Parts: sequence; C-alpha cells; structure tokens
Amino acid sequence: MSAEPSDDYFERVKAEIRAEADAARLRAPLPRKDPPPSDAAERPSRNDGVDRARLDYAIGELTGPHYAAFVENAFRCLLKRAADEPGRDAQVRLLAGGASKAEVLGNLRYSPEGRRIGTRVRGLLPRYALAKLTRVPLVGYAVEWAMTFAGLPMLLRHQRAADTQAAAGLDETRAALAQLTAHLDRQGADQQALGGRLEQVQQDVGSLRVYLEQRAETVEGRARALEIRSDKTETLLRDLPELRHYIHAINHWSVSLQRSFADVESTAAADAERTDALIASMYESPDATAEREARFATWLSLLADRLPENARVLDLGGGDGSWIARLAERGAEVSGFETNRFLAERARLRGLDVANGDPFAALTRYADASVDAITSSSTAIGSGDAIAHWFEHARRVLKPGGWLLFGCAADPRRFGDLLRNRAGAFEPALAGAALNAAGFAVDAAASRALRDAVLAQRA
Amino acid sequence: MRCWRNAHDGYHWIFRARMRVAILVPGLAPYDAVSNDTLGMTAALRALGHEVALFAPHAQGIAEPVHPPTAVEHWLRSPDDVVIYHYCIGWDFPLALFRRTKARRVLRYHNITPPEFFVGWSDGYVAACTEGRAQIGEYAALACELYLGCSPFNLEDFTARGVDPARCRVLPPFHHVEDLLKSPTDAQRLSHTDGAPQLLMVGRIAPNKGDMDLIDALAVCRQTLDPRTRLLRVGKLDPNLERYGVAVREHVRARGVEDHVLNLDNAGTAELRAAYAAADALVMLSAHEGFCVPLIEAMALGTPVIAYGSSAVAWTLGDAGLLWDTPDPYLVASSIARLHTDLTFRAMVRELGFARYRSTFAPEVLAGGLRDAMAQLERSRV
Repeated sequence: MSAEPSDDYFERVKAEIRAEADAARLRAPLPRKDPPPSDAAERPSRNDGVDRARLDYAIGELTGPHYAAFVENAFRCLLKRAADEPGRDAQVRLLAGGASKAEVLGNLRYSPEGRRIGTRVRGLLPRYALAKLTRVPLVGYAVEWAMTFAGLPMLLRHQRAADTQAAAGLDETRAALAQLTAHLDRQGADQQALGGRLEQVQQDVGSLRVYLEQRAETVEGRARALEIRSDKTETLLRDLPELRHYIHAINHWSVSLQRSFADVESTAAADAERTDALIASMYESPDATAEREARFATWLSLLADRLPENARVLDLGGGDGSWIARLAERGAEVSGFETNRFLAERARLRGLDVANGDPFAALTRYADASVDAITSSSTAIGSGDAIAHWFEHARRVLKPGGWLLFGCAADPRRFGDLLRNRAGAFEPALAGAALNAAGFAVDAAASRALRDAVLAQRA
Repeated sequence: MRCWRNAHDGYHWIFRARMRVAILVPGLAPYDAVSNDTLGMTAALRALGHEVALFAPHAQGIAEPVHPPTAVEHWLRSPDDVVIYHYCIGWDFPLALFRRTKARRVLRYHNITPPEFFVGWSDGYVAACTEGRAQIGEYAALACELYLGCSPFNLEDFTARGVDPARCRVLPPFHHVEDLLKSPTDAQRLSHTDGAPQLLMVGRIAPNKGDMDLIDALAVCRQTLDPRTRLLRVGKLDPNLERYGVAVREHVRARGVEDHVLNLDNAGTAELRAAYAAADALVMLSAHEGFCVPLIEAMALGTPVIAYGSSAVAWTLGDAGLLWDTPDPYLVASSIARLHTDLTFRAMVRELGFARYRSTFAPEVLAGGLRDAMAQLERSRV
C-alpha cells in the first residue's frame, strides 16, 4: 500500500471530510447544551475550615505556624480559601529563599485577590513595607543591616527562649521515646504469639498439601482411564468413515432397486393395459357378442322369476354391462365390478353402476345378507385356493334364500384369465359340486337348462 | 581570527573551552514535561562537554543532584558562564537573578496559560497565571542573550514586546518519547475488542484543554458513526480545579456518554502506549498549548492526529495530521470516520507523522538544535 504524501490528495480528503461534516450537521444536529457557566457550577463544600466571616487579625496570629502550614493558614485567613498548588509553591519558594513571613503575608494581602477581600491585618503594612524595602539594591541591604543590629537584644531573648523551648521539647521527646520503647516491647510479645500461630498455620498447610497430592493422584488415575476410553473411541471413530461408506453404498443400491421395481411395475401396468385393450376388442367381435346375447337371454329367463321385486343384485365381472342392463330393465338394483378398465368404461357410458376394480375385493367389503342375488361370469375369481374363500364370502353376503348365478362360459376374457393365472371358467358339473359342498343348494334343473352356468340358492 | 570564526561557525564551537551551565527550574518531578525538557537538556549539554548543575526549590524522584536556587549565584563564577531558566510560572527569584547576574542568560520559555481560561473556575489559578504572565514583559525588557522558545508561538510573547528576533530561537522540548517507543504495552484496562472507533485525549483536565468540545465530538461520533464509539481520556484533574471537573462530568452526563468515556488518570508508560495503539486518533482540541508533547508522542507511535490548530498546536503538528481551524465536533466526527474506514488515508497520515517526528523532534535533532543555540550564545559574547 502506497502512502506517499500528496498535498493535493490530502487537501481533497480534507474537503471531503468538511463536506461530510456539513451533511452530518444537518442530518443529526447536536442538541444545544451549553456547558454550565463556571459561576453556576457547584461550589465546593463550605465546610472547609475557612472562617469567611472574620476579616480582622493581629499579625501575631498568623505568624505562628511554619513553612507550608504557615502558607496554608495565610491563604485561608487572607484569601478565604485553601491554597492552590501554584500559589502555595510560589510562597513556599519565597520562604525557602529567605523571605520573611511578613513579606509572604503582604504578598497575599496586597495581591489583587487579597485587596478585593480586604482582610485587615494589624501591624502588617509597616513590616511588609520594610520587607519590600530590603529588596531595593544597596539601600535594602543597609536597612536590613541596621534593623538586625537594632534588634540584637530582642534576638538574644528569642534565642534564650528558643533554648528553653528546645530543652522542653527534648524532655517531651525522651518521654515519647520511652512510651515508644514500651510499645515496641508489646509488639515483640505479640509477634512471638503470632509466630506460634504461624507454625500452626504451616502445619495446616502441610496437611492440606498432602490431601491435595492425594486428590491429584486420584484425578491423574481418572485422567488415565479417560485417556484409554478416549483411545477406544478414537479407534471407533477411525472406522466410522468406512461404515459411512457402506451405508452410502447400501442407500445407493436401495434407490437403484426402487427404481428397478418402479420400472418393472410400470412395464407390467403397461402390459396389463394393452391386454385389457386386446380383450375389450375381442369382446366386441360379432361372434362373441352373439354368443353372449344368447347366453344372457337364457340366464335372465331362469333368474328373473326367482328374484323378488326391486331385488338388490351384485354382479362380479359383468363385462361391458350388457348382462346388468338386462337385469336393470327387469327392475333390479344392480351394482357391478369389472377388472377390465375398457369394459367397465363402456358399462358406465351406458349409465350403469359399474366400477373398475377387483371384484373379489368388492365382495369381501359387502355387508352380511345384504343382496338378493350374486351373478358372476367366473372370470372374477382369483387363482389357487381363493375359490373356497370366494364361495364363503358369497354365502355371507347373500340374504338367506338368495341366488348365486355362477357362470362357466369361456368368453374372450378367458384369455386374460389364462394370462393372469386365474381359475377362470369351470366345468358346470364340477362347479355345482363345489357349490353344494360350500353350503349352497344347486338347482339342478335350472342349471341343466342354463348354458355354461350353475344356479344355486343359499341354504 | 574573527573572519575565521564567522566563516566556520559550525566548527569553532568545537574548539571552545567547556562552559559552566546552571539550569534553574521551579520544580522537578517524573512525568512532567518541563522536567523532561530540563533533564534532556542537561544530558545533551553534558554530551557537548559542558559542566551542568541543576537548581530547584524542590525535586522528587529525580536521579540527579539538585541544588537550592539560592546557591546558583555562588555556583556561577564567570561572565562566560550560562544560566538557563525554565520559565513556566511566576517566580520572583529568577527575575531578580537575571537582573543582577553577570553570566549569560537564557530564558527557556514553556509558555503560561492566560488567566482568562481559569476565570470562574479557580481564583488561585487566575492569580498565579496573572502573576506569571505579568513577568513576560519584565523578562523582555532584560534583553537576555537568548530567548529559547519551545515553539514559534511562544516566542511571539517576546517579539511582540520588542525583543530582537535575532535573540530568539525555537528549540522543541526534550522528551521521553523514545522511552515510550521502547516500552511494553499494558492494555488491561483497554480490553475492548469490538472494533468500535476510539478517540484518545492525553493531557490534564483543565479549562484550556477543550474538554467540552471533545465530549461533543464523542456524542456526534456516536450519533453519526457508531454508537459504540469510546473516548480514552488520559490525564489528571488538579484538585484546585474541582469545580471545572464537576462541570465536565455534568456535560458528559448531559450528552449521555457516561458509559463511553474511559478515564485513565494514573496511566503509566505501558498503559499510555497501549492507549495510543488502541485509538483511531489522538483528538487534540486544546485552545492553548505552548508546544503539546502528546502530538509528537502520537506521531512517533503512528497514531493519527486530529487537532484544532490553536496556539502552538498548528506548528507542532505541521502537515502531519488533520488540522482544523475550529474545534467543530462534526469535523472531528467526520475525520474519525474517514480514518476508521479509509485505511489508505490512515496509512498516509501515519507516515506523515513518522516523518515529521524523525525530521523535527527526534532526540538527535533536538541535540543538534541545542548545539546550534549554544553556538549562537557563544557568538553573542564575541
């Protein structure tokens, strides 16, 4: 990244910043809030030890303290406030430089601030004037020399008084030292007692250390066990990718199998569709139609008289509805089920109640003793031992005394039965024997008159 | 000989005998700008071969013998000796000394804040600053051999009072920035790592430092840039300015930024360095500075500077930062936004800062400046 200084670039950025600032000012104006005026700011607490009411002092009252304490007291008495650091430092420096206390007091009293407050200090003015006079070159030196000479007796008195004070102070110091020594002795005794307690604490610390070491060993053992378990888990985890691979492969195979089944089913459905279409075409042939019409005429002549008025009839595998239509014309209420989609469609186009579906499944769903007759072309019967089951349900669904017309004709749908491994048409004599054995009473005379069918009554 | 000296000013200084230099200062303490300048100047003068002694009424934590001021006149023996007074407050003693001494006088001027800033906040400061500034005219009238200002702005106080500009010279203050560069960082109190913009201000809390404008700038940053914006405030409040401190806290509360100001009032070197490293910029809105050491700290440490170009700030910063002619909080906020988002521009400002520090304020540059100043002093005697 180059950061070469460029005046133009720098000025351009500054202009952009200025523009952004102007926009921001309009967009988000800062609520007006003037800083609180300084005079309105809260004053510091007045409990500061300054006696603001007193404005009259004698100079002796102010010169007692020394050094920083003297300056602090002078600020409080003359300026009515605590000393600020710069001011205090300046006056302390004056004292350190050999200035008199009167000069420091005068500096504060006659400063602009001190004049504004106007504290009276009796005896200060002449001393301050003298102090300032000593600052005048040559003259000041002479004045200071003369004053010192004139004050020698007083200085001697002060010296003697100071000696006395020092002696008194020394006595007090000795007494304080004795007290301090006693105090130190007591401290020594306390320290010994403390040493005893310290040993006890050290013993406790030793016990605690032993306990902690034991705990540490326990934790270490558990950590080792955990480490072993962790190794095992790690081994299992290492096998996990391979396992995952197998599962993915099985999943892949399963999907392929499902697709294959779907393909097979789709092909089978297409084949069944084509077979049904072929059978429907055969069904329409003139010979088949003529044969069927003759057969149905015979069936109707023998069955119709045996049915009650408005009889309820269930037809299984009734073809294109030509048989049902005959029954309906005789006043029967007929429901039919046909496996061939094309034939069922033709029956519905004739206004008949015929559904496309498995006739045997329909038979199993019918209620007990709910129909007066069942007619079947026999092609509706499934393969293998299903015939016994079929008879059982037929007997259940028929009302007592109801009729079963069991067809044995080899019409074009026989072709489909052969292809689909269905039982298909039976020999009438054999069918009659089976029906007798299944609890029906075969009407032998009628059956003989029928062409390729057996008529039986539920016992 | 005279011609030879004039033609070889840069060389004849080398062959002069060493001088005795007395440095007088109102006080010495660690972490104090005037003390740093005094000690740096002492070391540089000794490196030039001069004999140097320090004089101050009080000194704390200084690994250097310090004599009482009253001893200075005894120490100065010859008119060829030099006395350097670091003028930063009102003090009668140096003024009297300069009036009577025969030694060569150098007034090292750090500037004194005008008392107007303290009116209403501290009567004591008003009195002290008034007293201090009242002595400017008296020093100007003394026609000292050399007036050594920390900045051109400082020297204006004397040239405006008739001092010959030929006796004036700019020498930026010696400092401890190199120590800061070598210091480790301590960011324990600056543990925010959320990427929010951070403003930094270094300097004591005082009425001339622009604290109210700084708080306004923080509030605008929070409104227009990022509500998480923080201010790192490094500096102490003098107990004598407690009333001002109360007003600042009230302003912080009024602007609703109480939780966004981190006060580091006792920061050491390591923490100061961490604060510079963490900040998007040093924001200096001070209305009066005699030099402003934090600016060169920021430049040396690679922290961009946004500043109000008042007093000496404009010269010290030069073209090495974003200098504005007003302490407008919106300008500050937009500047922060630019530095926070435009890394190319930020890198450019950092490079400008490094370059200005190395060319103008590096210790070797200051030592060279002091050597030239002493050469000028030497010539004044010829």
